[in-house]
Amino acid sequence: MSLDYILTLVTFSNIFSILALSLNIITGYAGQVSLGHAAFFGIGAYTSAILAVKFGVGYWWTLLASVLISGVVGLFLGLPSLRVKHDFLVLATIGTNFVVVALFKYIDFFGGPYGIVGIPMARIFGIDLSTTGFAVYTSIWLVISTVLNLYINKVYLRYGFEAVKENEEAAESIGVSVSLFKIYAFTISGALAGLAGNLWAYQMGMVFPDDFSFSISISILTMLVLGGMGTTSGPILGAYTLTFLPEALRFIQDYRMLLYGLIIVLVMMYQPSGLLGKNGILRKAFKR
Amino acid sequence: MKRLGFLLILVVFSAVSFATIKVGLFVPLTGIGADDGLSALHGAQLAVDYINSHGGVLGDKIELLQYDDQTDPKQAVTLAYKMVQKDRVVAVVSGSYSGPTRAAASIYQRLRTPMISAYAVHPDITKAGDFIFRVGTLATVQGRAGAHLAVEKLGAKKIAVLIMDNDFGVSLAKAFKSEAIKLGAKIVYEAKFSVGEKDFRTVLSELKKTEPDVIYATGYYFNASKIVTQAKELGIYQTIIGQEGYDSPLFIELSKNHAANGTVITTDLDRDSEKPVVKWFIKEYEKKYGRPADMVAASTFDAMMILKKAIELAGKADRMAIKKALPLVGGEDFVTGFKKFTSSREAVREVVCQVILNDSFHRLCVISDPSIITPGR
Amino acid sequence: MQDIVNALVLGSIYVLISVGLTLVYGILKILHIAHAGIYTLGAFLGLMFYHLTGNFWLALFLSIILTGIAGIGVYRYFYKRVLEESRIVPLVISIGLFIVMQDLYRLIWSPYRQPFAVSFGIGDIRLKGIVITEHQVIILIVTFVSLLSMYFLMNHTKLGLAMRACAEDMAIAGTLGVDVEKTISVAFFLGSALAALAGILVGVYENNVYPTMGEVPSYKSFVVIVLGGFGSLYGAVLAGFILAFTETILVAWKGFVLPRDAIAFLVMITVLMIKPEGLFRRATR
Repeated sequence: MSLDYILTLVTFSNIFSILALSLNIITGYAGQVSLGHAAFFGIGAYTSAILAVKFGVGYWWTLLASVLISGVVGLFLGLPSLRVKHDFLVLATIGTNFVVVALFKYIDFFGGPYGIVGIPMARIFGIDLSTTGFAVYTSIWLVISTVLNLYINKVYLRYGFEAVKENEEAAESIGVSVSLFKIYAFTISGALAGLAGNLWAYQMGMVFPDDFSFSISISILTMLVLGGMGTTSGPILGAYTLTFLPEALRFIQDYRMLLYGLIIVLVMMYQPSGLLGKNGILRKAFKR
Repeated sequence: MKRLGFLLILVVFSAVSFATIKVGLFVPLTGIGADDGLSALHGAQLAVDYINSHGGVLGDKIELLQYDDQTDPKQAVTLAYKMVQKDRVVAVVSGSYSGPTRAAASIYQRLRTPMISAYAVHPDITKAGDFIFRVGTLATVQGRAGAHLAVEKLGAKKIAVLIMDNDFGVSLAKAFKSEAIKLGAKIVYEAKFSVGEKDFRTVLSELKKTEPDVIYATGYYFNASKIVTQAKELGIYQTIIGQEGYDSPLFIELSKNHAANGTVITTDLDRDSEKPVVKWFIKEYEKKYGRPADMVAASTFDAMMILKKAIELAGKADRMAIKKALPLVGGEDFVTGFKKFTSSREAVREVVCQVILNDSFHRLCVISDPSIITPGR
Repeated sequence: MQDIVNALVLGSIYVLISVGLTLVYGILKILHIAHAGIYTLGAFLGLMFYHLTGNFWLALFLSIILTGIAGIGVYRYFYKRVLEESRIVPLVISIGLFIVMQDLYRLIWSPYRQPFAVSFGIGDIRLKGIVITEHQVIILIVTFVSLLSMYFLMNHTKLGLAMRACAEDMAIAGTLGVDVEKTISVAFFLGSALAALAGILVGVYENNVYPTMGEVPSYKSFVVIVLGGFGSLYGAVLAGFILAFTETILVAWKGFVLPRDAIAFLVMITVLMIKPEGLFRRATR
């Protein structure tokens, strides 16, 4: 048996859980569907990669920079959402994703098509993180992200985001500042995705433009919706399921992708609110 | 009694596991890279067939464990642990693209398992460490060879360059341009395009105005078939120089109105070669898989053959021994012009120039000047 | 001048793919990404029937009908039961379907690209240094004819009226005696048939058909319908040509400073910042 094999999958699942949780804030709570979330992920990863490789910056500073820069970019990219609505916003987010990846690819500072290679191992408290260490380390961040999600869900957003999600005009009329909530959502979400980017950069030791392409955004959204939007456990379940599924399906070789797609379709048809959503089977099973 | 049982199990177990030599292969079999992945897989399988039907290695048969990575670096990394720790392969061949191959290379280096990359082009792959080798021609070598072909063989003075925007296109164009300028030619036009680009007419119309002697166009066969077709449509009859990315029978099939004819490419697979292994490869590949072989299949075939040689030289199927033997591999048993590895674990090989005539590839010349084909560092 | 011809042909392709999508979107408001899978199906069926019958137009006809029926199937078996759910649900189903479709084509028709070589015997037209290839001529004519018939269908038939009514408000259309179920099926049939037409023409034009050929149209066609104001047929037609001309002009002027798709998205984002509901907003919502 290979423990590293499982631990690597756990690390990837953790990183994507954090991404799904961060998307959950704008899509699950604030009701703004984004299909360009990989852009924030990429900005976080590239920030860490550039700082670590080109400027030799230590781990904690790269982490801080990734979170801050992605958060700020989230803030700025959140602004258009005040003006552009519904499906127009979905397309605007896809567009942002494409433009960001194109910039990574065409600007030499970002390494161009070669990406940035040679990110050292993450070193925290004097320990180089190995496979096991990194799995544990990302798990800690996953717990922190989950708590943050719970906090946003329970304490704060009962007042605002729920209303924004249901009906923006109505929310506005009862005095909720829709704009402010959306901006908060995009900023926090961007910062979390930046964290995931930092973890990815150090896990892989390198970043390439294609690691953050549109198809990654699609995966993140699928994980979120499959697990259950607007819940805290749903995004994590979705990320773990869709990361482990392709590996678990290896035994059927050539039909792997076919079944992977079919499972997504069937789950959504029969569990439209997600496995852990309002009417999800798993939610009911836990309640019982 | 207990001890005896344990011993017995151990004996049986080792007898089973030592009957074959396990070699791993990761290739994209689903998703966007599925076509190259399938060619690579077929190339590797054919090599295993060849080896096993010619007496195996050290008396043992090779067992190929193949995995689909979906051109996803995540899966390539996960597979590295699976193949090394769970399947216990002695070495791995990458039949995948740059992203997954570069990401996995770090892991194989860490796990001290030799990996040979068949055709991925990222310059940093072999820099992952001393366990990582590459069979494919380095883009710098191929770009340099292309420049010699253009300037010295075809006498070009003014050259237009089309650059595909991934690592393959950019590396080639960089090497080509610097060498061509060194040889006295002038770059009169250059334009970048993305891998998925289909409409080159606008760029080609601009290019035409600069009246180049030849056009050096980087790209894969599906870009290339569109470039040559659209160039002919627009009345551009200058020679177009391509590279191994063009080396697929599909380049000719997908070009309209026989537009591929007259194109010259630098590549690894010499289809007119008299070497028995090449003849066997070309014949058997078509017989078995119903389509002519391409560069990707040939490179992956060779990666397996090199591995076999290394195991023979090592005298045992052991990771460390194979790693030590790989730099010593040489000889004639390869389909591409592979000669040996350099100290930086890159392949030294002859570059074959092929011209497309009557809708098929033919040898034009072979570039074997060591100053051109040795990957310099 | 040559650039105008190129842009017109490029625009025709964008329009053909997007108009079908607009029909479906106009009625159900689903981000139907699997439309690009339908487009690929059309191309493969067209190629298959062309090999079987040897007659291009017959193959085109058969493929269009079968793909149209497949489109109805997608609606009936996949979308229908989730129409009441959050709109993100059909979107994810559509994503899943697209994955399934592409992999199914790979299993059936192999991952390799296949040439789709058809000669129409017209020959290329050359006028004062401008070239229009016969495939470009065919694309221009077919696009013109199908747009004209669409115009006629939407404005001068009962069916067109029913579709427009459903696009405005499905519930009201229902109470006014429109058979909503049938109208949606017809919209899916027509939309998918147009996708098949586009798939076949692109297959012939580029001389290749392959399982992942829908990858770019899956998002590019949305750029067109967003610019066109999401759901407006006229908007989609105009936006398709505007996008093609903008791309061509930018590329001719500066080359590919960014990949073509990134340029298209930049244009789209710029437009959205100025006009958040697209260039051609629908008169009523």
